[in-house]
Amino acid sequence: MSLRTSSLFCLFGILVSGVFGLSGCGKKADSGAAKVDASTPDMEADLAQTIKAQPDFYQFKTIADLPTNLAWEDGQDLPEFADPNAKKGGTFNYFIQDFPRTLRTLGPDATGGIRPYMLDYVGVRIVQSHPNVAGRVMPGVARQWAADPAAKTIYYRIDPDARWSDGKPVTTDDVVFMFYFLRSPHLNEPWYNNFYTTKYKTLTVYDPMTFALTVPENKPDLVSAYSEFVVYPRHAFKDFGPGWLERYQWRILPTTGAYTLLEKDVEKGRAITLTRLTDWWAQDKKFYRGRFNPDRFRLEVIRDPDKTAESFARGDLDMFGLSLSKYWYETISDAHPAVQAGYLVKTKFFNQVPRPDWGLWINSHKPTLNQLDVRIGVQHATNLDLVCAQFFRGDAVRLQTRSDGYGYRTHPTLTYRPFNPSLAREHFAKAGFTQQGSDGILQNATGQRLSFTLTAYSPALRDMLPILKEEALKAGLELKLEVLDSTTGWKKVQEKNHEITLVALARSVEAYPRFWEMYHGSNAYEDAYFDAAGKPVQTFAAGKPNPTPQKVRVQTNNMTMTFIPELDRLIEAYDKAETMDEIKRLGAEVEQIIYDDAAWVNGWALPFYRVGYARYVKWPKGFNVAQSRAPDEFFLFWIDQDEKKATEEARRSGKTFPAQILIFDQFKN
Amino acid sequence: MAFRFPRFRFNPITQKKLRRFQQIRRGYYAFLLLCGLVCLSIVAELLVNNRALIVKYEGRWFFPTYGAIHTGREFGLPYEYEVNYRDLKETFAGTPNWVLLAPVPYSPIENAYRNETFRPRPPDWSKGHYLGTDQINRDILARLLYGFRNALIFSSSFIVLTYLIGITLGCLMGYFGGWFDLFIQRLIEIWSNVPFLFVVIIVASVVPPGIGMSLWVLLSIVVLFSWTGMTYYMRSATYREKARDYVHAAQVLGAPTRRIIFSHILPNTLSTIVTFIPFTVAGAISSLTALDFLGFGLPPPTPSWGELLRQGTSNLNAPWIVASAFSALVFVLVIVTFIGEAIREAFDPKKFTTYQ
Repeated sequence: MSLRTSSLFCLFGILVSGVFGLSGCGKKADSGAAKVDASTPDMEADLAQTIKAQPDFYQFKTIADLPTNLAWEDGQDLPEFADPNAKKGGTFNYFIQDFPRTLRTLGPDATGGIRPYMLDYVGVRIVQSHPNVAGRVMPGVARQWAADPAAKTIYYRIDPDARWSDGKPVTTDDVVFMFYFLRSPHLNEPWYNNFYTTKYKTLTVYDPMTFALTVPENKPDLVSAYSEFVVYPRHAFKDFGPGWLERYQWRILPTTGAYTLLEKDVEKGRAITLTRLTDWWAQDKKFYRGRFNPDRFRLEVIRDPDKTAESFARGDLDMFGLSLSKYWYETISDAHPAVQAGYLVKTKFFNQVPRPDWGLWINSHKPTLNQLDVRIGVQHATNLDLVCAQFFRGDAVRLQTRSDGYGYRTHPTLTYRPFNPSLAREHFAKAGFTQQGSDGILQNATGQRLSFTLTAYSPALRDMLPILKEEALKAGLELKLEVLDSTTGWKKVQEKNHEITLVALARSVEAYPRFWEMYHGSNAYEDAYFDAAGKPVQTFAAGKPNPTPQKVRVQTNNMTMTFIPELDRLIEAYDKAETMDEIKRLGAEVEQIIYDDAAWVNGWALPFYRVGYARYVKWPKGFNVAQSRAPDEFFLFWIDQDEKKATEEARRSGKTFPAQILIFDQFKN
Repeated sequence: MAFRFPRFRFNPITQKKLRRFQQIRRGYYAFLLLCGLVCLSIVAELLVNNRALIVKYEGRWFFPTYGAIHTGREFGLPYEYEVNYRDLKETFAGTPNWVLLAPVPYSPIENAYRNETFRPRPPDWSKGHYLGTDQINRDILARLLYGFRNALIFSSSFIVLTYLIGITLGCLMGYFGGWFDLFIQRLIEIWSNVPFLFVVIIVASVVPPGIGMSLWVLLSIVVLFSWTGMTYYMRSATYREKARDYVHAAQVLGAPTRRIIFSHILPNTLSTIVTFIPFTVAGAISSLTALDFLGFGLPPPTPSWGELLRQGTSNLNAPWIVASAFSALVFVLVIVTFIGEAIREAFDPKKFTTYQ
């Protein structure tokens, strides 16, 4: 290379490194404290504007306007479910599978592993369903409430003791802010926007402690259907507005619950620890005393579930879920030395909750799968009976309907279609798949093979997929297995790109099931219904069904792409129903149509959950509550420090205790 | 006039190298062992298969190993799907019909304990499970053998592709030099700094739904991020050869570029490239195993050693799983390494290169 060329190169190199060097010298991004400058939104100003712009929703009256003949309830007659003599103290060692991507409880990435401990289990709601007595609610932030079904209004009196963790009292200012917050388009949460706009008609504030909510429909469970929300602290959201996601990414907010976070306890990527508030306002109140007992609740990041099991067996973790058959029967088996020595206790608890709807969801928009006979054939070709019997070792039962576990049978006679290869072949033949190829897969007259891709992304269940594939061969059906990681897989399914997927949606503990999200045609197609002028509308009632819809609606839970106008009419009537009888009647009709459409293959449910814990972790009599979905959901446990010392010494010295393998079936049905 | 095939002879130097390789006992026997294993995996269907080798039914002969499936109805059983030959053998006991099963009568993807729980079972020689079963009742020996075949296909295709690309590009870079060489070198530098495993995992997990993951898709992703290795050696070898007198002589004589590269330069550099091949094979097998272990490789239920290792480490109370997979992997990598060392010693350029 000539001298001139090499010197040109050197100049180029200097310029490039200079650019990189200068860009690195920029100001460091602020780590989290709120900066007040011209671009920070002013939440209070926007809130005042919103109140003025929506006078139908935000109404301010005085205490003199409060009706006097209300039947105030306070739920004090309900039984306690925690042990009031539980000892406070100690550090509880638990785990999470991945460090949370944000401390926010709303917005993208917020439904990660830490949300239950920030909000769902720990935050005190206005009122809460009593977990042992169906249909009744117990007090929370509200000390008293009164329902007026005729006026479709519920009145609340906030508990004067209710305080945020920074000491400020909870008032109706926070309630007003909460509704503004959850209805705000800046929130990036369309489901919340929709729910809090359509489910509530009016918020009436009487004084700083009293407010009322008016709702569009009467419901059999009026109070619990509309009141189980958590209030947000208005004074901590002064800069809420556009761009709030980044500002609030790692911000620790005041809470009404017993546990809060300290800055030093957020060890990014490694662990996160909750600290108990020693002056928590609800500490001695009925329904909250004896709960939230450990002083510190440490969540360590352990990504591999098998490593977690071994950590638990060694005594590094205090609790570990054993619902999966492999863990209950093999890894922490009854014969495991730590179990036999009594250091670890195994418990099986039958609960009463709506079950997640595990099953195969068939996308009926895809070619070939849009034929009913093919779908019914797939139903009979899926051997989930074998999976329940052998993979779950008989622990699991197959779901009977779309909505099992709600306290009543949503349809009196419906049940799953059993595994039957010859029946499956009959249905496939009706759809034109009559020839069997040389590889055992059925073909139709044009040579198209009966082959679909089964998408799954739950790592614990990947071992069950080859079983389904092998059994489907007996019916001449080929299932190509596609195992993706959870984010990619969920995205594919939400984009409706799947053919068949194995997934479940968690069910909230409610009195009756929901159908709209999963079965209404407007959640399948954007052009499902048209009004007279040809513009798309969202309901059966408002327009006419489109016989050939084209535009698939993505990011909804209608993963079977079901669009049946008669079903939509029933679902809309169901959502407006006001009595339990009507709800049950319409629900049964909805279930029947869904069954006939055959787009969901009934999966399984575990009517219990199983857990292993160290022997020094104590629980109330009866172990837990009927409506718990996880052992720590209601925080009923406590650590017995003396027992803990004794156990640690026993591990060192080899002393043993009697083995404990407990079964609690008082709530079994 | 009698027609005689011209006898194919290596040139005398190569013959010496091969003889020297034969003399290194360890490497030579390892090579024979590997050839034996490769032959075994080629005829895997005759050794380990849930299909029978020969069936005689009502006077007719069937050879079900390769080819179309035979339904139960063809043998008098009342179902349309593929017949279970092990059950068939029992049904035929006492009749003039008979079934000859393969030595290990299980396939790598079938559930061998149909009506029992899915859990790992220890080796049971009476049933033919010589290495036991894995956590969903599949025979481990079957999964090892077919997994070995997949690994061989993967690594041989990997070698062919990466060496093809690497040698071509390296040779061209060395021969043409100048700006072409500079530019491609910078590209290669940037590309080779991409962390291989991470980027393969990322690309593998976002393969578009229409394509789906298969051995060939995975192979193309892996080749895409590993072809740069061979270019370094080829480039410097070509530079070295290009400076030799015989290349100058050829150029003076007017030989075209193609002839110089293929007839003069490549043959002199290739003999040393051969010494890299075994280590590349070992690397390819390790990469495939690592990807399968992490779950980002071949889709289920494809048999693979990495998947067996993963099962083994999450079922340590069933040690036969991890023991089989680990021993097989160590054994194959060790013999490949022995072969590699022997080749390197046998093809040592210091002994056989002439300098001018």
